[in-house]
Amino acid sequence: MDAIFQLLQNSGAPMPEWLALALAILLPIVIVMGLFLTVFAFLTWVERKALGRIQNRRGPNRVGPVGLFQPVADGLKLLIKEDIVPGAADRVVHFLAPVLVVVPAFLVLTVVPVAKGFVPVDLNIGVLFALAVSTASVLAVFMAGWASRNKFSLLGAMRGVAQVVSYEVPMVLAAVVVLMAAGTLSSIGIVEAQRGWCGWFVCKPWGLVAFVIFQTCAMAEVARTPFDLPEAESEIVAGYHTEYSGFKFALFQMGEYVAAITMGGVTVTLFLGGYLGPGCDLPRIGWLVSAGWFFAKLGLVVVINIWARGTWPRVRVDQLLAFAWKVLLPLSLINIPAMALWYFLPNRLIGWIASAALLAVALVGLTRLNAGRAFEKRSYRFIS
Amino acid sequence: MNIAFYILAAVTLLGAALAVSLRNLVHCLLALVLFFVGVAGHFFLLRADFLGAVQILIYIGAVAVLILFAIMLTRNVSGTEGGGNSLGGAWWFGAGITAALAALATAAVRRSSLAATLSSPVTEQGIVKTMGRLLVTDWVVPLEIMAVLLTAALIGAVVVALEEDRKS
Amino acid sequence: MNGFPGKGLLEGLAVTAKNFIGSYFDDNRKERLFTYQYPEERMPLPENSRTFPFLVYDGTPDQLRCTACKVCETECPPQCIYIVRDSDPNGKPLQRPKVFDIDISVCMQCGICAEVCPFDAIKMDCDFERSQHGRFEELVAHLPSLLKSNDYYHHIKPTEADRVDATRKRVKKPSPAAAAPAPTPGPAVAAVLSPTPLKPMSPPADILTEDEKRAWLKGYQSILGTGPIVWPLTTKKIATTPQPPTPAPAAAAVATPPASSLAGGEPWHDSGLDLAKRMELAKDRSLADRLMAAMAQLDCQACGYDCRGYANALAAGVTRDVTLCAPGEDETKNTLETLLKEAGKL
Repeated sequence: MDAIFQLLQNSGAPMPEWLALALAILLPIVIVMGLFLTVFAFLTWVERKALGRIQNRRGPNRVGPVGLFQPVADGLKLLIKEDIVPGAADRVVHFLAPVLVVVPAFLVLTVVPVAKGFVPVDLNIGVLFALAVSTASVLAVFMAGWASRNKFSLLGAMRGVAQVVSYEVPMVLAAVVVLMAAGTLSSIGIVEAQRGWCGWFVCKPWGLVAFVIFQTCAMAEVARTPFDLPEAESEIVAGYHTEYSGFKFALFQMGEYVAAITMGGVTVTLFLGGYLGPGCDLPRIGWLVSAGWFFAKLGLVVVINIWARGTWPRVRVDQLLAFAWKVLLPLSLINIPAMALWYFLPNRLIGWIASAALLAVALVGLTRLNAGRAFEKRSYRFIS
Repeated sequence: MNIAFYILAAVTLLGAALAVSLRNLVHCLLALVLFFVGVAGHFFLLRADFLGAVQILIYIGAVAVLILFAIMLTRNVSGTEGGGNSLGGAWWFGAGITAALAALATAAVRRSSLAATLSSPVTEQGIVKTMGRLLVTDWVVPLEIMAVLLTAALIGAVVVALEEDRKS
Repeated sequence: MNGFPGKGLLEGLAVTAKNFIGSYFDDNRKERLFTYQYPEERMPLPENSRTFPFLVYDGTPDQLRCTACKVCETECPPQCIYIVRDSDPNGKPLQRPKVFDIDISVCMQCGICAEVCPFDAIKMDCDFERSQHGRFEELVAHLPSLLKSNDYYHHIKPTEADRVDATRKRVKKPSPAAAAPAPTPGPAVAAVLSPTPLKPMSPPADILTEDEKRAWLKGYQSILGTGPIVWPLTTKKIATTPQPPTPAPAAAAVATPPASSLAGGEPWHDSGLDLAKRMELAKDRSLADRLMAAMAQLDCQACGYDCRGYANALAAGVTRDVTLCAPGEDETKNTLETLLKEAGKL
């Protein structure tokens, strides 16, 4: 944003300062939002086709070639649906809840560097801002459940809130390890700190663990399968968005999906080296190449997301919370001294081995401690 | 940035005013969240980015949720209690005390030497790093005491939950 | 615990990935993707699927089996059938319907009409693509659209059609009405009778040879558990377990009596004659004969017997119910009652 402002100022065009300022603010917003809305629409299509193929069926293939216009059809359908608000519902809160789901999802995009030199605002505390804003959606979940005046919605909302709040802690702790390594909170700084061969943080043992933890928590934050208990249709009607129809429902879906993509973007920035890749420093087209690298990595993360969704069954709510508090949290805590070991041991190789060993022991130990007891074979009283 | 300040001030004051005068408790909470957002905006305006982000993270992400749970667990579920004119009869008393406190705080800040100590421009990078360094060198004892306090609170919560589990 | 933590998760991911890739490149991918691309492909329906009724004709639409006996109209639970019997230019009633309407918006597809029809004239179709743009008049099926040939019946339900044909061959006996040349239908009826075309069912597009189709369908049906059916892709007739003959519950007790009692024939056994004429023809005959003359002479088995059997049952005192003759309606009931009272049987 600053760069555009400077550019406009120095270009010599007769432009009053307020206009330059307004353009500098609006242009990145429009570009980023337009870009990510298109990506969102495309990715919903990819997800439906991929899930279909995984599940031995074709995805949508009627609207447009191979069903490419399906998102358009979905959007239109939801737009023209009647907007039903339950009579006893709290109208203001009912109206605001979808808004509060969508806004944080897009707000995090302000600090995700999409290409070399292309971040809307280069905040000094970029990552902290991203994590802080993404937690604001917990309130929206609760508002949605509360405003519907529906006990099942409220139950779904409480589960949703518990889930989001529980998975925030390991997520932040996993990000802390990256901050330790990069020494800065700025997202561009973190990306630049991953230069070099095997410089991506995911290539290091603590980075790999942190990546897995962060991505798992990100999936849980946005309530994607296998953590989609708050909105599972077979569980609790539709959870906190039961009473929503038409475009508000579309906003919920959009907010969640864009949040998933956005957290994928944050993951790429933190662990996968952002826009780095061969050719990203070329003089003229370097920004384009780096954008290509960023979207390729984002695509990889989203593909893993979709793959996980098609594979794993939904976890129960108590399994969900146990996983967060008993496995992910200790593991992310142990990750920090592991990273310190890697960083401070004099011989780098010993550092790798030591941290990898510590993490392996921690992982095995935690899973063993948390493993449920093996059920003995049932015995029946009246059957010989 | 004056216009931004005025807009943010208006939002903050609106949030605060609504938070004390609305009837529905959940609406009051939402107005309070608006207030928090306004304060975070002020922090960003003052270029205290870290504080702004922490304000959002802690206040909106945690404190508001806590208040929400408290409302839900202790009040009438429909949240329509608290009717009547929320200002009450002795509103002039509260307004008087507020004005006095505001005047006191403004005078104290004006007359203090806070501005002098901040003369050296400290960039955000510096603030986070400096804060971190100070926390583990000069202020490590309060840090550890707070850690012990929080651990005790956590253990207390677990104990309370376990007791309920055993009772039922 | 066996294996490293997360092993099961990764194995699951591997399975899904294999499925995903396989759905593009495997050899059996056409069958594995079980989506039916409706309306280009339709799922082959099992033989006993049913939707709405239709009327069967043998050969030409003039040779429809329906005799307008109105048993289906009576038995239909939601009463969606409306029948008006045809009559020749002289006013003599004919054994064919002039109007046969089925309101398919009311029809609940129970199949009772097909069950009770004594002439195997109305059977259940399996065509489900009956949507119309209107809710009322457009959803009433009239006689022309209901008439479909026996070949169509064989096409959609070969086992059942074979069974029906075998039964008809067995119980067919020359009746005077049928020996007479079929009266020409009235001009109004002739104008609207027309053969309806078969609606083809399409198999998956790339399965081409008959063997492939048969093999695929057999596999599909075995999953459904409906047994080895080769409908609708071949005309091979399969051996079926012999079905019991068309049920006549109490007919065993009062089976068609030996020929001696039929000396003199049964001149009243003509449904074209009215009641007075029939009673006069049977004037000097036995009680059973007079009882039979009082009935509607359709052998429709609505009463559970054929006309002869019902008359014998009444005469023998096996049953005392005089209301069973549905086509005969009140006049038959009253006549039967009078006759039985005279004979002291009631």
